[in-house]
Amino acid sequence: MSRYLHRFFVWSAVALFILPIVWMFSTAFKSPGEIFHAGANLIPQQISLASFQALLNGELPILVANTVFIALSATVVSLCIAFFAAYALVRYRFPAKLDNLFLLAVLVVKMMPPIVVAVPLYSLMNTLGLLNSQLGLVLAYQVYTLPFCIWMLLSFIRDIPLEIEEAAAMDGAHLLKRLAFVVFPLCAPGLVATAIFAMILGWNEFLFSLLFIHTPDKFTIPLFISNFMTEDGTAWGELMAIGIVSSLPMLALAGYMQRYLLRGFSMGLK
Amino acid sequence: MLFENRKQLTALLLPSLTILGLLAVYPIGSVMINAFGSVDYLSKQYQFVGLANFVELFEDFFFIAAMKNTLVFTLVASSAQVLLGLWLALLFNQKFSGRRFALPIIIYPMMISTLVCSSIWRSWYNYDFGLLNSALVAIGLPAQEWLFNPDLALYAIALVDTWQWTPMAFLIILAGLQSIPKDIGEAAMVDGAKGWRAFAFITLPLIQKQLMLAFLLRSIDAFKLFDKVYVMTGGGPGNATETLSMFVYKYGFRFFNLGMASAAALVMLAISLLMTLFYAHRVMKGGKQ
Repeated sequence: MSRYLHRFFVWSAVALFILPIVWMFSTAFKSPGEIFHAGANLIPQQISLASFQALLNGELPILVANTVFIALSATVVSLCIAFFAAYALVRYRFPAKLDNLFLLAVLVVKMMPPIVVAVPLYSLMNTLGLLNSQLGLVLAYQVYTLPFCIWMLLSFIRDIPLEIEEAAAMDGAHLLKRLAFVVFPLCAPGLVATAIFAMILGWNEFLFSLLFIHTPDKFTIPLFISNFMTEDGTAWGELMAIGIVSSLPMLALAGYMQRYLLRGFSMGLK
Repeated sequence: MLFENRKQLTALLLPSLTILGLLAVYPIGSVMINAFGSVDYLSKQYQFVGLANFVELFEDFFFIAAMKNTLVFTLVASSAQVLLGLWLALLFNQKFSGRRFALPIIIYPMMISTLVCSSIWRSWYNYDFGLLNSALVAIGLPAQEWLFNPDLALYAIALVDTWQWTPMAFLIILAGLQSIPKDIGEAAMVDGAKGWRAFAFITLPLIQKQLMLAFLLRSIDAFKLFDKVYVMTGGGPGNATETLSMFVYKYGFRFFNLGMASAAALVMLAISLLMTLFYAHRVMKGGKQ
């Protein structure tokens, strides 16, 4: 392939992949009148913040607060629990190779369509009195985040040399001390990367919030987007503005996360 | 050396086992029981009915349509993503100025949420104001009812999925290409292998594993298809975009037919289990050092 043809293909591909996102930004900054008149105009003739203002005066603050709270809580819970489990899976001898079976079971949960367990989970939440509650959603999200965190942390804990821990053990450090002062600091970067991915899972989750949350004061951003689309199909300015709010954290982290993307996604993220 | 202390081991695993038992094992067990029974929604009375739900399921027109759509979607979307991902990976496997800048841009689509993707593309698919129809009309082609044409809707959704997830296939395949030692390519050149022949007989066999992994991961994920359908078409027009996930959702949460919903969920679990075991077979080799 000639050099010029290669460059042409590369930059056309880049343009095609970025175009919908560029369109999202341009539409959010257009005035309501311009969105439909100018059709395919990619650059707004006049930057208008009307769409963002409408959102700010409306649900946006509470939506962001809800989504951050739920994603963050689900991540913290998963990370703590998964850290212990992943450590045990790497460092301990299991009877009858039960460790492999456990890991396989966790993977199966991670890969299965979440709708499979939705009906029994709904009954469970109902019994526990956790329907339409943020606590219930944090619990339900463990179905996604916990298996993901266990698998992801596994690879980071494997990277810690056993000798360091053995030396600490000889100096008399017991399990909790070793975990807190040896293992935890050594896999801190891995914990941060895992936390970010788990946060994204929670931040973007739709199915369980659709099923378990019923009142607008507890809506998450994806649930709001869904309602907005079905109720007001062509209020594109506001729709794209909320899309930007929802995407900014991830777009900002893209550079940092690129290093971990393969590790994260091959564990079946999403 | 590995530690051997049963008490510590149990303590470390207990929280995970509790949560997974409550949120995965118990619900899956409950689905299995309900799939072979009939439950009255009000009295909660359970009656064992054997395979009756499955017999009804496989005679159900709606279920057959959902199964067919899901399989077509999974196959079409995953294949398209692996092929496009391979093409992109080959482009990015060469040095060019601006590569450091182009790479993060290519992966943007998979960073934004499915709901945001769907909202952008639903606007693009709009018949009157959508970007796609404006483009078609501008080059003299007829406008399309993207999401309301039964022959087109499922592929329109597959296109959104392809836009969103080709970057993932791309990253996996690119990692494979970059792990090929340079001297292999040079040796092939000396032997006179060039262009397509070098690609087909040298490069492709070396990245076979990554191609397979990308295809499997994308299939496992595409098989879950729910969000995009729910917000873009709701399963319509007619049954054209009904998927297995939508089927379980509708029978479980709208028609309150627990037996049918559970039987369909069990079929989904079985298919997903097969794909996962196949994937695990390739990933879990190695294990503990």
